[in-house]
Amino acid sequence: MERSWWWKAVLYGAVSILSCLYLVPSVIPEEKRPAFFNQYFSKRIQKGLDLQGGLHLVYEVNIEKAVAAKVDRLSGDIEEQLGKKGVKEVGVSREGRDDIVLTFKNPADAAKLDEELLAQFRAELDEVERDAAAGRVRLRYDSDKVAEVEDLALRQAIETIRGRVDKFGVAEPTIIKKGTDIVVELPGRHDFERIKALIGRTAQLEFKIVDDGSEYMKKVVATVPKDGPITTEPDSWTAKDSGRPHEDVYLRSKDRAALEKFVAGLSGDLAVPPDREFGYEEVAPRDGTGDAAPDRYWRTYLLKKRAVVTGEYLADATEEWDEMQRPQVGFTMNRQGASLMEKLTSENVGRKMAIVLDEKINSAPVIESTIGERGRITMGGYGDPFRLQQEVKDLVAVLRSGALPAPLKKSVETLVGPTLGEDAVRKAMFSMLVGAAGVIIFMLIYYRLSGLIANVSMTMNVLFMLAILAGFEASLTLPGIAGLVLTVGMAVDANIIIYERIREELRLGKSPRTAVDAGFQRAFWTVFDSHVTNFVAGVVLYSYGSGPIRGFAVTLLVGIVTNLFTSVWMSRWMFDLMVSRRRATAATLSI
Amino acid sequence: MAASKDQKFFEILKPGTDIDFIGQRRTWILASIVASLLVVGVLFLNAFVLKDRGKPLNWGIDFRGGTEIIVEFNKPVEAGQIREAMAAAGHSGAEVVKYGATVGKGGDHRQYLIRMGAVSVVSQEQAKKAESAMAKVGDASLRRFEWSEGGDKVYLRFDRHVEADKVAAALKAAGITTTQVQVFGRPDDNNFEATLVGLDTEVKRALDARLGGDSAKIDRVESVGAKAGKQLQLDGLRALFGAIVLIVIYVAFRFDFRYGPPTIVALLHDGFMTVGAFALTYREFTLTTLAALLTIIGYSMNDTIVVFDRIRENAAKYRDRRFDRVVNQSINETLSRTILTSATTFTVTLCMNIFGTGVIRDFAFAMNVGIIVGTYSSIFVASPLLIWLNDKYVASQKRAQARAPRQARQPVRQTRRDEDEEQAEKT
Repeated sequence: MERSWWWKAVLYGAVSILSCLYLVPSVIPEEKRPAFFNQYFSKRIQKGLDLQGGLHLVYEVNIEKAVAAKVDRLSGDIEEQLGKKGVKEVGVSREGRDDIVLTFKNPADAAKLDEELLAQFRAELDEVERDAAAGRVRLRYDSDKVAEVEDLALRQAIETIRGRVDKFGVAEPTIIKKGTDIVVELPGRHDFERIKALIGRTAQLEFKIVDDGSEYMKKVVATVPKDGPITTEPDSWTAKDSGRPHEDVYLRSKDRAALEKFVAGLSGDLAVPPDREFGYEEVAPRDGTGDAAPDRYWRTYLLKKRAVVTGEYLADATEEWDEMQRPQVGFTMNRQGASLMEKLTSENVGRKMAIVLDEKINSAPVIESTIGERGRITMGGYGDPFRLQQEVKDLVAVLRSGALPAPLKKSVETLVGPTLGEDAVRKAMFSMLVGAAGVIIFMLIYYRLSGLIANVSMTMNVLFMLAILAGFEASLTLPGIAGLVLTVGMAVDANIIIYERIREELRLGKSPRTAVDAGFQRAFWTVFDSHVTNFVAGVVLYSYGSGPIRGFAVTLLVGIVTNLFTSVWMSRWMFDLMVSRRRATAATLSI
Repeated sequence: MAASKDQKFFEILKPGTDIDFIGQRRTWILASIVASLLVVGVLFLNAFVLKDRGKPLNWGIDFRGGTEIIVEFNKPVEAGQIREAMAAAGHSGAEVVKYGATVGKGGDHRQYLIRMGAVSVVSQEQAKKAESAMAKVGDASLRRFEWSEGGDKVYLRFDRHVEADKVAAALKAAGITTTQVQVFGRPDDNNFEATLVGLDTEVKRALDARLGGDSAKIDRVESVGAKAGKQLQLDGLRALFGAIVLIVIYVAFRFDFRYGPPTIVALLHDGFMTVGAFALTYREFTLTTLAALLTIIGYSMNDTIVVFDRIRENAAKYRDRRFDRVVNQSINETLSRTILTSATTFTVTLCMNIFGTGVIRDFAFAMNVGIIVGTYSSIFVASPLLIWLNDKYVASQKRAQARAPRQARQPVRQTRRDEDEEQAEKT
């Protein structure tokens, strides 16, 4: 045998063994595998939702409602402002989603809606038209703001959903953005009604005062078991202006559930007072590269329940830099919000104010001084400026999307119980075996030894395909199994094309060796062309489909590639064995 | 070295077949045109004439929007009972069909598929009724009641403060079951967001109420909002169009302008015929069907390419022969290849059709049709079109020559030949 044949043998052998190893995790459960093996080969083929059961949801961000609600509020504010200027009779209505139309009973009053008044709303409202004679003014919500909010709302919604799903302990949830929709996939069996209710809820942004230094907290902290998952830490800070020290103590744990459980168990004279509640913050100090570091933990804050100021009073939030070029968050309240915030902060200088989004505390900065319309949040600590900037960006995103909560609207739901999937898989596998058996028998009868070669390459094809799918940790869905079966059928097509060509060459009187060469050479482009067109269809399917259809597209695409590899190159290598120099004297070919 | 005379093959189709495919090509083209018109006719009939069909294709909920619920009972149940239960719950238009295998001798059936157009537990009239029923909750008057068709939420606005649980209770009394009611927006806005209970929960409750105990088990729920369905339809059309365009580009690149168009026509023909099969049988046309259609478009090219490659090769080899004879010969030569490749894929998909269930079976049916039509089209649609195009091309060449000055004029051949040959002639 030629040297090159042996090299190829080594290559193909190695690839085959590697594929088998790659497939082991998918077939043998984790416990039965030796530990060192798991270090290298742990990826497995996932079962799609339609096979293992679970919930698949697609949400749209209801930007219409969010903007409409905001515009409503703005019109209320304007009406109030006009009232202060003495304008009593004016009709204020929302037209469409974005427009406010003010109709003044006395056209002269329209002048009162002047530059000065509108200046307060400059960031959000533009004057579109003014009909001084009829006393009608039309204002519109700024369209750039709408687009910006939509984008933010999507991102924030994904984070929020993730947090909510985590609470339920769903294994391997998928939450991704698809265009302007959010796709949520939750495998397994859970109380899906509850989960749906929770994740569909619109997130609320609230500002709550932290009740620090209270006697109650000290009592609670004393009862924390010493060796449990919960530890207690003291927290102290000094108010910048007054110089007065503040002290607090909090509970800390790696596991939020442990904290929640502990709090839920507080009763009797340790019970949480009716006007207080516990809030949780995930402290995730980011490392040098800006990613969330692994040593994150949860801590508690004792909060005053009533949120006087909520996200809708916020007008805007931006990144700012202080005198020392350190990043911080700047925010602006609207008219009403400003007075509420002023009242709140003046009464609580020196205390911490928790910024709570969706019942999760994002940050709890100290109230350094009374905040009116404009406020500033400095990120505590002298850390890596890049890291600080990430934190600032995060908080700005939270504040902005909290300022205009966009509800999620469910557009597609698929809930699959596990038994249906199992049944379908069994039947699909059976049909694949029957089909494959038929093809194998046919190839053996029709093409004899060459048929055997084709069968071997078909088996290798399936093996490689599955190994690649495992490598991608691809989801195998029911249509995906259909794709697998289809590839089995198409796998022999390439071989048939080549073999018929070889037969023709043999009929013309060529020797086996020449015939094989000619057959593979001539037929290659035909085989290639047919694979390309199928590949194109697969790519289009992949980009169009989602979920099960995408699973099909993936198996199709992978199958096409492995098919080309096994039908052309591996088959050729096996043929070389049949027509090697040693056997060059053989006059016939088993084909 | 010459091949030994001992070289034998196991063959079903002996070489040297010379079936005349081309002679009758006008008939075949006519048959294809008639078939296409028939498909259009069936689509028309489905949409306007056949009362129990109503639409050109039986769109699944993926495209139409709606909800499909697969329920399994722990005892035998009749479809009629299910319909009664659904009507009592306010869904009288629900379709109920048997699903899965029939168990036992008496033909008792336990698994059913319930299909309805609704996606939300609240319908238009229910919303109106609830709005008036909720006009006053405690001291507070209802200012606004917002509900969107197919939505899973209801928004309420009152003129003064009211407790969330009171709102939930009032909604329940008005016939709307919610899973939660929470404050939405500013506290002083008195806005509430109420999340509605799922349709499947309501259906299960209705079935349990009617058939006793906890007899109903929901196996699967699929719910697609009308807007999402329309989007999928649009995207589907775009995908089909995109795939065809990409393949056209590839074909134009690999084949010359005479071989290209017939391939495309054959492709479109195959897709159209498959759609026709679905129109005729009125099988559900779902996302899986669309996936099969896209696969067929890619696959149909396979045998057409096999035949055309051979035609090109032979046309270059046998310059003296008439083009249509060359085509016929090529088809005969590749016959076993064409038939065998189609047969193997067909067998495999046939197994899926026979032994598979649900989505796999629908897909397999589409593939079966597509493979048969695809093989037919490479021989009886693509090749005749190729000959026709070639004739037109040669004729236009002749006309161009006839207009050329006397000296440069080539003698007009008696037989028809390819452009390649004439080029070879001139050099």
